[in-house]
Order: sequence, then C-alpha cells, then structure tokens
Amino acid sequence: MTPDGAMGPSGGDLPGRLKKRAGEVVDRDRSIEFTFDDETYSAHPGDTIASALVAAGIRVFSRSFKYHRPRGLLCCAGNCPNCLVQVGDEPNVRACRRPVEEGMSVAAQNAWPSLRHDLMSLIQYAAPLMPVGFYYKTFMRPKKLWPLYEHVLRQAAGLGTINTHAQELPGADKRYLHADVAVIGGGPAGVGAALAAAREGARVLLFDENTDLGGHGCYRRGGVASSAALRSTIDAVQGGSTTGEIEVLTDTSVFGWYKHNWLGAVQGRRLFKVRAKAVVLATGSFERPPVFGNNDLPGIMLGSGVSRLLHQYSVAPGRRVVVVTVNDEGWELAADLVAAGVEVVAVVDRRPQRSELAEGPMAQSGATLLFSHTIWAASGRGEVEGARFIRVGGSGADGADPSAGGPTLREPTLREPMVREAVACDLIALSTDRSPARELAYMAGAQDDQFGTGPGAGDTLPPGMYAAGRCRGTKGVEEGIGQDILYGEVAGRAAAAFARDGIDHPDNVVAVEVDRIEAEDAPCEYSPEADSTGSGKSFVCLCEDVTDEDLQTAMAEGFDHIQLLKRYSTATMGPCQGRMCAAETARICARTTGRTLREVGRTTARPPAKPVTLDALAGQKMDPVQITPLHDWHVDRGANMMVAGLWLRPEHYGDAVAEVRAVRQRVGLIDVSPLGKLKLTGPGVPDLLERIYANQWRQLGRGRVRYGVMCNDEGVVIDDGVTARVGDTEWYMSTTSSGARSVFEWIEWWLQSGWGDGVHLTDLTQTYAAFNLAGPRARQVLQKLTGRDLGNGRFPYMRVRTVRVAGVPCRVLRIGFTGELSYELHCPAGYAPHLWEALMEAGEEFDLLPFGVEAQRVLRLEKGHIIVGQDTDALSDPISADLGWAVKMAGKDDFLGRRALTRISQNGPRQRLVGFEAEGADDVPEEGLQIVGAHDRIIGWVTSSRYSSTLGRVIGLCWLPVEIASQSGGTFRIHRAGGDVVARVHHGPFYDPQGERLKL
Amino acid sequence: MLILCCPNCGARNVSEFRFGGENSPRPALPMEASEAEWAEYLYLRANTMGPQVEWWYHQAGCGLWFLAERDRALNEVVRTFIWEDGVQEKERERGGERS
Repeated sequence: MTPDGAMGPSGGDLPGRLKKRAGEVVDRDRSIEFTFDDETYSAHPGDTIASALVAAGIRVFSRSFKYHRPRGLLCCAGNCPNCLVQVGDEPNVRACRRPVEEGMSVAAQNAWPSLRHDLMSLIQYAAPLMPVGFYYKTFMRPKKLWPLYEHVLRQAAGLGTINTHAQELPGADKRYLHADVAVIGGGPAGVGAALAAAREGARVLLFDENTDLGGHGCYRRGGVASSAALRSTIDAVQGGSTTGEIEVLTDTSVFGWYKHNWLGAVQGRRLFKVRAKAVVLATGSFERPPVFGNNDLPGIMLGSGVSRLLHQYSVAPGRRVVVVTVNDEGWELAADLVAAGVEVVAVVDRRPQRSELAEGPMAQSGATLLFSHTIWAASGRGEVEGARFIRVGGSGADGADPSAGGPTLREPTLREPMVREAVACDLIALSTDRSPARELAYMAGAQDDQFGTGPGAGDTLPPGMYAAGRCRGTKGVEEGIGQDILYGEVAGRAAAAFARDGIDHPDNVVAVEVDRIEAEDAPCEYSPEADSTGSGKSFVCLCEDVTDEDLQTAMAEGFDHIQLLKRYSTATMGPCQGRMCAAETARICARTTGRTLREVGRTTARPPAKPVTLDALAGQKMDPVQITPLHDWHVDRGANMMVAGLWLRPEHYGDAVAEVRAVRQRVGLIDVSPLGKLKLTGPGVPDLLERIYANQWRQLGRGRVRYGVMCNDEGVVIDDGVTARVGDTEWYMSTTSSGARSVFEWIEWWLQSGWGDGVHLTDLTQTYAAFNLAGPRARQVLQKLTGRDLGNGRFPYMRVRTVRVAGVPCRVLRIGFTGELSYELHCPAGYAPHLWEALMEAGEEFDLLPFGVEAQRVLRLEKGHIIVGQDTDALSDPISADLGWAVKMAGKDDFLGRRALTRISQNGPRQRLVGFEAEGADDVPEEGLQIVGAHDRIIGWVTSSRYSSTLGRVIGLCWLPVEIASQSGGTFRIHRAGGDVVARVHHGPFYDPQGERLKL
Repeated sequence: MLILCCPNCGARNVSEFRFGGENSPRPALPMEASEAEWAEYLYLRANTMGPQVEWWYHQAGCGLWFLAERDRALNEVVRTFIWEDGVQEKERERGGERS
C-alpha cells in the first residue's frame, strides 16, 4: 500500500511527482501549502487539489454515497463524483478542478470519523437489506417512528456539510452578454470556430470551462505547444487581430441552452445571461467508464484522467499500470507513461491484433500486450491491487470491428468465459468509449441523428445551432487536431453567416464524414464483460452506488422503461448527471429487455448541464419598493415603515391607538398615495362601467361618487373602489392599492378585445398623490385652506369637487372608509409635500395627528368595511361577502359575473362574511385562524381581527356557514393552539351603525 | 428565453410580456348559453400539445394585448396579431375540433 500523507517541501520528493516536463502548467519555482483532513501538504501554483494530493501519494479521496466505499480519482475532468471534497465552508468541491491556494483547508466528506476509517462503511454488510428502491418499501411502519427514521436518514444522506453560521457573502453578480456567435468550448474545434467567425466580422463570445484554451490538446504529450496549428490558432484568438471581436471567458461553464439561443453560464459566483444569434457547440466528448467487477476501487482511472495528471501536472497516479483500451489513444498513453519512467505492466486492447501496435513502441517496454481482451474484474482491499482480463469475441467473429464502438457478439457455444490469471498492478487506466457532450443540443431539441448525417450540409440541427469537433462524432485522435480546427472553422463561418443573414447557407458547410457513435439499431447482445457474477460489485452509477445487479432487479420489478429505470434506481441522478453512466444504463436496459438502443431511447436532458450554485442564480437581493412623495416626511416624523404590496408606507408614528382616537374625536391625516387611480374618458365609459361593475352607472350625475364592486365572470370579487363622474365624458376610478396594476390590465384587456369603443383609459396611480383627512374636525381644517364653501349643503357625502386647497388644484372626494367625516384629496404628486404640510399646519389647532396603515385598519374594521384580498379570496362572491347591497342587477344588461350572481342570489349563499366580537383585550385571535364546529371540523376562518380601543373589545370579520352566520349573537369557536377563543356573531358596523358621522 | 414579436414594438424578450392564457372566447349571450358552453368558457381549455391561440400583454412595453399562435410542443410562435372583431368567432369555430 502506498503511504498516505507523504510530506515534502518540494515536488521532487513526492512519490507521485515526476520531473519537470514540457507543457506542464505548474510553477516549480514556487511552493504553496494547504491542509487535507488536518495534515499539511505542499503544492505548486497551478496544481489542483487533486493533482497535489496524488503527487503526495494520496489514493482515496472520498466515500461513496450509499455504501461508503473508498473512492479515488476517476475522470480528473469534473464529471465524476469521486473527488468531491469540502473546501473551508464550501461543500461538494471537485478537487480535480479547484486550484490550490495558500492556506486552503480541505476536508473529506461523507466519512466519519475519518476518510481512512469510516464507520459508516459497515453499512455494506446491510447491503442485502438495501436493494435498489428499498426506501419505497421500508421505513413505513410503525408510523410513529417516522420522526426517528427521518432524523437518521437525514443525517446519513447528503455529502458535504453546510455551516449555518458561515458569514454571508455579498450577493453574487450577473452580466448580460450579447453576441453574434457564441462558441461553447475552447478546444481545437472551438478556437477554430471563434477565429473563423471573427474573421467574417462577427462579434464572438468564446466560453471554456478550463483556465486555459486548448481542450484535449492540453493533455497530450507536450501540451498545446505540440501542435503548431493549435498554438497559432489560440494565439490568434487571444491576440485580437481579427475583423470582429472575440471575448474569451475561461473558467466559465455554459450550463443551459434556452429558447432562441439564450445561454446560461457561470464563472465562479458570477452568472452570465447570454443572447447569441448563432451558437457553435464545440463541447467535445468525455470518456465513460466501463462496467466490470469492483470497478470503483481507488486506482481505477479513465485514460484521459491519467493523461491530464501526466501531461498537465507531471504527476503519475501509480507505479505499476495496466492500460485497458479500445482505441489508439490508449497505446499513446502507454507509450507516454513508459517515456515518463512509469512501469506499464500490460496493455489490453479489445480489438483484434494489429501488427503496428504489437510491434510498435510498446513492444520493447516489457509490458504484456493482449488483443481481443478486456478487463473482467479488478481486485484489492481498499484500492486496486490486481486485475483480471477476459477474452472477447468468439473464434469466428474476426470480421466484426469492435472499434466502431458497438458491443461485440459472442458465440453461443462459448459457455465458460476465458478469464486469465490476475495481474498485479496499482493503477488501471481505462482508455475507453467516449460520449459526445451534447447536453446543450439536446436541450435545444436536437436528436443524435441530426449530427453530421446530411450529405451536403454537415448537420440538421435546429436553426442557428452548429456543432464542430468531437461532439459531432467521437473520432479517435488519429484524425488529428488539425482536422478538428478545420471543422471548427467551417462551423464558425456558417454561424457567422447565420448571424448576419438569419438563414443557413448550405454552401458554407463542407460535407463531413463522421462515424456513428453507436450501433444504435443493432440489438445489444450479451458481452462477457458485462457479466458480473462472481467478479464483485460492478457499478454502473458511481454517484448513487447503483450496480449492474441493481438495474437488473429494477427491471425485473417492472421498471424497464428508461425513464422509469432512471427514477427507480436513481442511476444518472447524481453529481455526474449521467455523464459517466447514462450510456451504460441505456445499454444494460437494451440488453436485458432485448431492444435496440434506439428503441430504449435516452432520458431528457435539462439544465443545468454543469453544477451551478443557488447563490449564483439568486444574485443580488433586490426588493424594490415604491415610495410616496411624502416618504421623507414620514421617516423624519418617526414612522415605523412597512412594506404593503409594492409600497413602503407608514404603519404608525409610534402610537396607533392614539391615532385611532385622534380620528374618532378630532382629526387625522393619512397618506393614501398608493391608491389606484384610473382616468376614463369618452362617450363609451358608462357602457363600460355597466359591464365591469355589478351595479348601475349610466344615470350617475356629474359630481357624484359611487361605490362599485368589480367581479369576473365566475362572480368572484376582484376589486372594489369608488368611481366619480367628474365631467360629462370624464370619470375617475379608484381601486385598491394592491389591485391598481391588475385592474388597469384587466380593463385594458376588455377594451382591446371588443369593449373599447369610445373609451380611453389612463393610469394616474403614480401621477397623483392622495391624502385622507378624516375626523369630526376635518371640515374645519380644510376650510382654512380654501375659499370654497365646504358646507354640507354645497359639498354633501359621496360627491366630488375640484377645489383649490392651499393654492393646489385638487380633486376632492367626500367618501368614508374610516367612518368619520372625511375628505380624500388627490393632487399632482409634485404638489404633495406642500399640500401635506399645509394641512398639518392647519390642523395643529385641532390636535391633528398623522395616522398610518395600522390605525386605518382598525378604523375601517370598526365600521365593518371589508378589504378585497384580505377578507375575500379567489372564491368570494359579493353576495356572500356582505356586499350584496352593491349588487344591483335589475335593469342592467350583460355584465361580468351576472350569470353566477343570478344563481347565487336565487339559491342564497352557503357561507357568509360576517363580523364577530370577543372578550379580552390582549387576546386577539390572529387573522388566518380556523373556526371549528362539531368534531373539530373546519367551518370557517378569521380574515380580520383587532382590539378596538374605541369600543373596548376585540372585533373582527370571518367566514362562517350561513346558518351560523345568520344568528346575530350566536357563538362559535376559533381554534388556536393553547386554547380556543369563543366569539359572537355581530351583524352590521360595530361603530356608528346608522352611519351618521359620515354625513355630518 | 423566447423572443416574442409584439405587433407594435417588434422582437422583444418574453420577460417583457405577461402571459394571458389560452384564448377562450366569451359566449355572445352569457345568460342564454348552456351550462356546458359556460363551463367551457370559464374552466375548460383545449391545452393542445400543438398549436394554440393565446393572449399576451406587453407589460414592460407598449401595453398592447395581442394574440399569438404558438406551437406548444415546439415552443415556436407562428405569428402574433392584434385582436379584431370576428377573431373570437373564428377561433370558436376552430374550437369545434376540440374534444
């Protein structure tokens, strides 16, 4: 076993670090230190956490989700779950992609008490009790133990830990970007596309999730510099010497494609929202691990992962390597390892023997070279110690070319697999089948057969979308980086042309021959490497610990449709999101159910394709509120401000009870500027009002004001307010504050869909301020500021007048929400501060107090006035809501809600909104409490409630069944934790039931 | 995000608009409609996995209420147009194909 935690001051002393190599990205001249599980390690700038730990000889990085099996690096590309670690307060960081910083504190996840000795791994002995989908069958009974189950399961589930006391970061920021062409992926095809598009004059955005451009060119021997074409293309892209512009965004993942080439991308905590006219996908491909016995042991890595460590970080993750391959890249890797001084024990190629490989560079290396073989199982305790191989293909199957990527056929007579003796090794490099990274294209609705199949054009992808490079087809590196760049240029030119003209130009696209990635129509025959009996657990989904056997069980239980199989087994639902396992899951499903891959299909690709934190999506906290022209005055006066709907309003100025008393006994002033205010002009307005209100309007004279209830065609109250006839063809409608916008849009819809003849609507909500001067002294105050005679005879209740108050032209309405003599003054917002201060000053001799929303709530409740939206909901009709007096259907033509209201008034309401009283001053039953009847069944609820100092008791409004609501004085129970409240039904206003004070 | 063409303003991001629901024409004589017709107007929608005529409101723009014909399976807007007299009747006739 290699030692864990070997420490050393510089790279040369570490077991995994090789001597300096061309193309490496680490800076050997400097050294930085970090800790992993409280032990200190050293690294070079440029190292990732994974590369530094592997250099130090670390093999185990995490414990798996369900079985807590030790896991080591697998892909080194940010696709698999094996290297997830906690960095400081940040959970679930992929060690293979996070650069090391000085002083970084890294910890393993999902292991207790330590990564090496994780007690939870004992759970593996309970594995027979936890088959696939076990949680659908267990933890049901006894039901009262469920809180315990939940507690235990919550502790056991999840990977990282969240520090709930961590310091909150400032909000993440966001940028909007626009481009003619967005190129996703900065590998050879991507840089080729970006350069070509820019040369056509396009504005180009180039995204790459890595720090350096170059894609798979970065992890070949010699790095990017080893390909002159790639080097010069990258230089040209970054040099900025093109006709168009190229903005390069590295360390940026594009996680979602949305309609019309809208892209979501994330760079650390910053979110980009991108609109591109055309998109080029150059997202490449990723290797996927095959399924075989014990394929999750630490020390089993993808060939590209080994290449990344070797060529980018000069780190060898093992000393005795077995290379298992299906392509020539594996042979290149083997030769690179030998050249770096690492012992290659065997190269195992699934394909039949080829002389140029058998007699090539590896022939002299001392490695065993096997053809027509693949890996059958790995073995070892806690990490890889050996591997066993199995012959593939039958004796007569030489004609088949397994390099096409399909499964090999097996002769039916071969009953016993020919498994060879184990070979000792500490690293298995799997250079295997690759999947093209097409998630973004799938999100756009593309199908696999739209890539590279048409004869003249390359693709038949959705318009404005192009693809280049390995995401079109997984060619081997034999084709060369030069070819990738060329195809990238073709796609880039086509994309630029589309961005310019909006149409595809077939002439621009060169016919490209691409091999099909899968033999999709061929039946999935049995292949011996997939038979895991007796060879140990063979994992399909490493994220969720789903084995081949689990999938078989799920399908045997009937979940054999790929969508059901995925959800039942949770395969593909972990951090890798199917990158490592979707293809194998589909293959196993096809094989077991005897279907082709095409028939099995694939699960739906949805954003995000790459992980993105909720923090980045949430961005800055933005809670905009609207303020009235008197905002500063309220604040200076000491108002307690509250958010009411979209507005910031004074709740009270220190003593709401005193404010209520002032209004009842003297005079008060409230800022009601948020009220909705709509101006309607034209000869067609009376007809419109008849249609949208439940009462009558045609005969309303000039200068008169009427209350109206607005319903929809279900007969449900949507708003209420007063409307005044200001002139022959000019009307002024007020709505609730929260309904202002929606009523405007509601009326606009009716006007624009047939009821608009002779009507023009203007929204004055934010143009006019409004105040309510209320109380028995209100007239005296107002009279001081105007020469107009305000006597009751000249300006009665429910009238509107235009009056010059303190020099300001005002629309004054005499209405009475509070139940006292009151004047509502509406004036252009710019005059508001002056008018308010004039009123305040005029009211001083009468001890006028400003009052806020809270006092107003109490005052209106004392009169039994309802608030639409608080006392009514989406099922309340006006007849049931005690507004029957505002419904006057006789003599009206068609209006919204007529049909429903006719029926309700014939049948009578089934429940009613009604007032109630209760004893006790401190014991106000809160709004929203339920009312219960016999057997504690819910029969209603409280919508408004307050203690009224005016009346000395608790009052409120509630919904009750009609038989209870009709009994004035009848009692009922309001259910409340800690003791129910007994209340009495009260009909009519609580205060001034005859409504005399309004008409003073 | 979808780009929607307001008949007044042209191509704008869909976030400027408010969706107004599938077009459900109001019966010309509400008091005379049958219960089935009335219920259909209020509550039933074709909800086709295919083309639909629906309302949109240019809330962050010109304030126009207009109709769009959109294929909901492909999320492609075929055309946008302003309401005019008779559009609702034409839609009601087409609506006869709904089950």
